[in-house]
Amino acid sequence: MTTEDGKVVVAEDLTKVYGSGDTEVVALAGVTTAFDRDRFTAIMGPSGSGKSTLMHILAGLDTPTAGTVILDGIEITGLDDGALTRLRRDKLGFVFQFFNLLPVLTAEENLVLPLSIAGRRPDQEWVDQLILTVGLEDRRTHRPSELSGGQQQRVAVARALVSKPAVVFADEPTGNLDSKASADVLDLLRRAVDEFDQTVVMVTHDPVAAAHADRLITLRDGRIVHDGAPGGADDVIELMKQLD
Amino acid sequence: MTKLALKSIWARKVRAFATSLAVILGVAFIAGSYVLTDTIFAAFDEIFSESLHGTAVVITAQNPVKQETREVPTVPASYLAKVQGVPGVKEAAGAIFTPGGLFDAEDKAIGTKFAPKFISSTLPKGLESLTYVDGHRPRGPGEASLDKAAAESAGLGIGDTLKIIGAGRVEPFKLVGLTQLGQASFGGASIAQVTLPIAQQLTHKRGRFDQISVASAPGVSAVALKRRIEKVLPLSARVETAKEKAARSTEEIREGLGFLQTILLVFGYVAVLVGAFIIFNTFSITVAQRVSEFGVLRTLGASRRQILGSVLLEAAAIGLVGAVVGLAGGYAVAAGLRALFTAIGFGLPTTGLVMEARTVIVSVLVAFLVTFVSALVPAFRSTRVPPIAALHAFTPSPSRRRRVARFAIAAILGAVGIALVVAGLAGGGGVGARAARIGGGGLAVVVAVSLFSPTLVRPLADVAGWPLERVRHLTGRLARENAKRSPGRTAITAAALMIALALVTFITVFASGLKSSVATVIDENFAGGLVIENSDGFSPIPAGAAFAAAKVPGVKSVATIRTAEADVLGGSGGTVKVNGPTPNIEEGVDIEWLAGGPARLRHLADDEAIVSDSFARENGLEVGSKFTLLSQTGARPRLTVAGEFESKLGVFGSVLVTQKLMADAFRQTKDTTDFVILEPHADAAKVQTLLTLGAERAFPTAEVLNQGELREEREKQIDSIVQLFYLLLGLAVVISLIGVANTLGLSIYERTRELGMLRAIGMSRRQVRTMIRYEAVITALIGAMLGLVLGVVFAALIAQPLKQEGFTLSYPVGTLVGILVLAGLAGVVVAIVPARRASRLDVLESLQYE
Repeated sequence: MTTEDGKVVVAEDLTKVYGSGDTEVVALAGVTTAFDRDRFTAIMGPSGSGKSTLMHILAGLDTPTAGTVILDGIEITGLDDGALTRLRRDKLGFVFQFFNLLPVLTAEENLVLPLSIAGRRPDQEWVDQLILTVGLEDRRTHRPSELSGGQQQRVAVARALVSKPAVVFADEPTGNLDSKASADVLDLLRRAVDEFDQTVVMVTHDPVAAAHADRLITLRDGRIVHDGAPGGADDVIELMKQLD
Repeated sequence: MTKLALKSIWARKVRAFATSLAVILGVAFIAGSYVLTDTIFAAFDEIFSESLHGTAVVITAQNPVKQETREVPTVPASYLAKVQGVPGVKEAAGAIFTPGGLFDAEDKAIGTKFAPKFISSTLPKGLESLTYVDGHRPRGPGEASLDKAAAESAGLGIGDTLKIIGAGRVEPFKLVGLTQLGQASFGGASIAQVTLPIAQQLTHKRGRFDQISVASAPGVSAVALKRRIEKVLPLSARVETAKEKAARSTEEIREGLGFLQTILLVFGYVAVLVGAFIIFNTFSITVAQRVSEFGVLRTLGASRRQILGSVLLEAAAIGLVGAVVGLAGGYAVAAGLRALFTAIGFGLPTTGLVMEARTVIVSVLVAFLVTFVSALVPAFRSTRVPPIAALHAFTPSPSRRRRVARFAIAAILGAVGIALVVAGLAGGGGVGARAARIGGGGLAVVVAVSLFSPTLVRPLADVAGWPLERVRHLTGRLARENAKRSPGRTAITAAALMIALALVTFITVFASGLKSSVATVIDENFAGGLVIENSDGFSPIPAGAAFAAAKVPGVKSVATIRTAEADVLGGSGGTVKVNGPTPNIEEGVDIEWLAGGPARLRHLADDEAIVSDSFARENGLEVGSKFTLLSQTGARPRLTVAGEFESKLGVFGSVLVTQKLMADAFRQTKDTTDFVILEPHADAAKVQTLLTLGAERAFPTAEVLNQGELREEREKQIDSIVQLFYLLLGLAVVISLIGVANTLGLSIYERTRELGMLRAIGMSRRQVRTMIRYEAVITALIGAMLGLVLGVVFAALIAQPLKQEGFTLSYPVGTLVGILVLAGLAGVVVAIVPARRASRLDVLESLQYE
């Protein structure tokens, strides 16, 4: 179920405070935003701006000190671990900076891992299409150690898409890749939105990466300081300079 | 660097403790074994010196051959007058102290089944060592006293009936006194006291004494008195001062119970060996995990030697904890073992627990050596970490050459081990040397298999993981893959369990073979008849039981066998079992003749013997050749071989002689086994009831068994020993399981980020737990499979030379499958803590973990 206005994630006045007293650190100082279906959003900001915290809270990996998150019509703030686990399994996809594939499984097994965890039989047609899309037809039975970093991250992207989630969260997906491999991965995320009608939220440091998005949210000291179209990579660099 | 090493242990104290637990348990068991046996010896020492209170010199008969039945040769009563005539003798008296049976009015046995019960005689006041805590000394026929502990446990008081059986029928006595021997506890032993003439009559030792006790006149030393007495007595009399006698008795106990100490220590060292595997594994893993730490230290200028030193210091610290806690635990183990032995009917005398310097030294040495040696290889591996490891992930992978070397060593060790076992089995040398060869060979094979096992882990993990994968697809699959991930690690962990389970399997298979072989012998040779034997299964019963049985209606005749041990003079040497059957023995049991035959046995002369095939082979004898035995009374009968029979599990011993020779040369007039031969149409059940009513009433130590009961009785005896071994092996199993948990814990720590990812993409806590649990199950099953195979192979190897003795192996498939299942379940149990920890990992923290 989608909220009426087509917003798949709605965050209301999110606050996150770590520690207390003298050691108190405010990571998020009241963030309100929403994400449209079938859109690619990039979140940027300097270190300590709260961008990772925001994503973790949106994805149900962390809990806010105050505020609510409604994901695909469900208020996730306040859900217990079991419910959150099922939510992540069925409605979310993740791409991490360190490719985080299981070294003991083949590329294809890693790809269908979310379905295996759920005990569901993968739709072979869909899996084949994904493998084709990520360009690893001849690497299906290879172990991660036999794949390059870019290939591993493409498997990770496919893994995030395999369960056709409501949102795919990507945390610095290009942080560990060279520019060629980065371009492939970003291209893949773009196609996920354009061809497979997926919603992608990506945290990144990389202006080039941000330029692939439809929308750029910039955070600083736990607040949204910019929200708009990213334009080109140069525009993003210019924007970041202004913020500094 | 020293500080750093200590800090690094402190930082990982839980892990360090789990690691030292592997040493602690083994060391505690070794220390406990010493403490227990030292305590027993000390207690006997006290009992013996107490029992000679007021005595200066003791005269007994020389006893060149020890008897299994605890019976000792006697001295003639005529010695007493000679001793009394020696100047310096204040007082001398003959005494009886002979094993017997004690019962209450309802014929319920006093004391546990295997504990010794003695009939003793009163001594004159000056020589009496027992003190009366209640009532008075027996003064004449019909009166007896009992030690307080036995009376209390049997619920007997003054005035109650105490039945005593010696060499004849059971006789009722009135309990008139309760005794105590100084402060010493007899453990399970019970002592009844009657007057000397009654004791002699009960034990059929009229005109003889077990010993003569002598008190010296003032001013005469025991040593001087001993010399004077020696002059008036023949050489067959052994004259000792009380001190010497006590020391010899203690020494005999030491020899007799030495096997107990050896067995306990063997199990202790098995536990330590298993512990060594665990320590090796833990150090290997932690060294691998600390590679970047070592890299940083090397970058900062630490030398290889300093790195080595810091790891070895850590090992030493764990060894120290193992030694100290292990020694302390030794007390607990000793107390536990004592309770265990008491529970199964082997009551042992005790005083306060004795901790000797030797116990401390051995425990400390074992603890240190084991940790140190086990940590040596990982420690040297740590020195190969280059400074660059501070920056990059670095895994020192075993080179091809090292792998080849490992295989070569495994192959050589395996071959040497098997050769040693075979050499040990083939014979030559004493029992000790052979056991050492078999044990050493077994150890070599175990190490060889452990070295080879990393190669076996993959296929075995596939076998063990297959059914799990069928049940739980993903978690089963991941568990299996994770178990295969570092085959070396899984292999060593499984090898520890393999050792423990190989021994369990060996004992199981061997015992099962023994049981089925015994059953076969009983079924084939004792067909249809009834048997009368002592209810403890080995002590002799009065000859009267056979005479009484022969009069029961339906009984055609009774054949008996009497048994003694004798030394073989010349030839192979050693002590053998000599049996004296009645001429009609073949009516009751079948003998398989190789030479001679039933007629030869029926008409056997007193200077003739029929020997077993193995005895003939060992001593190079054939029909017509002669050999000489030495009996415990000092007699040296020279015998001519009149026939040869096939030895079947040694039921007939090595040598058969006439019962007349048995009485003359061996002073054995009691029966070991009575075979009751029935009239052709007699109702066996009815006869058994009659016999039970008659014989068991008159001779309560005797028990009438039919074929099935006899088989059951023997099986029960084997089972009780097997259960004791299982219990003792339990320790090694527990240590190896701690190893499984330890390895699992360390592996989870390494896979933190992976677990975080799995949780992030939707794996539930329950699924994480299942995955970890299955990994433990697979590791345990690998160990169990290896252990089962090794145990069965060893049993088959050891059984090979026993085949000609009538021993055949049988494989208790059900029990072996049971061991496998239990190992799997044990895996589930030990995984509880690591699995819980893995499932509770914080997802975000784990993801950011490097």
